[in-house]
Amino acid sequence: MKNNKNILIEEMSKELPFTVPENYFDQFALQIEEQIGFKKSISRKVFKPWMYMAAMFIGVLIMGQVFYTVNKNNTTRNAENYETYVLSQVDENSLADYYVSEPAN
Amino acid sequence: MNLTEEELVHQFSQPNRRAGAFSVIVRTYQERLYWHIRKMVLSHEDANDVLQNTFMKAWNGLEGFRGDSQVSTWLYRIATNETLTFLTNKRMRSQSSIDEVEEGLLQNLKADNYFNGTEIQLKLQQAILTLPEKQRLVFNMKYFDDMTYEKMEAILGTSVGALKASYHYAVKKIEKYFEEE
Repeated sequence: MKNNKNILIEEMSKELPFTVPENYFDQFALQIEEQIGFKKSISRKVFKPWMYMAAMFIGVLIMGQVFYTVNKNNTTRNAENYETYVLSQVDENSLADYYVSEPAN
Repeated sequence: MNLTEEELVHQFSQPNRRAGAFSVIVRTYQERLYWHIRKMVLSHEDANDVLQNTFMKAWNGLEGFRGDSQVSTWLYRIATNETLTFLTNKRMRSQSSIDEVEEGLLQNLKADNYFNGTEIQLKLQQAILTLPEKQRLVFNMKYFDDMTYEKMEAILGTSVGALKASYHYAVKKIEKYFEEE
């Protein structure tokens, strides 16, 4: 009889009959880290060398695009300024004569 | 991150790396300590409170930790002391006897949403609750965790011989409980 009881204790599942809320341990660790003022910095190892290369390439492309756009605007503005300057040097009568005169052959 | 004990202890002494090293030990030991506490206080809510106190005590004492014992032994000691203090305070607050506190723990366990045991598992918990607190600790650490007596000696400060005797008598008492019930 007693042996049976011994076997019962030893054969009983040693698994604990308790559970915890879902994600409890992840949340608990975060809570403690917050209490001690620990902020996880993103590890530099997360960024692989190819990511640095890609970022540099995209940076160069963006800078090239900006430079091209600014340069194009300046060229157009210079041409417009030159035309305005030439016209300002000629009086209205001369201009009228120029437009109505017969082309010289 | 796999840091050795020596590396961890070294980082404890450096103010700018202390929190990071502590985060490592929280994530490494939280589950083991939680179950160590939970087996004693039974309810999840109480175990959560005691575990928080344990880690905050450890954090406050981190600067003074010199690595004289293993980190796990040190943490288990704090968790054990916090658990026993919690149970003593509970008893004092309710001004009830040990038996009444144990009965209260059992009632809480039955009502706990995070208990999903069978009838036999509940009966085992009832039997364990008939043991004195320190014997209950010894029984749980040996029976459920299969911890070595040497490790238990380092945590509880009780000799291996006394621990073996305590466990032996705990098993006898539980067997007797099953016979009588």
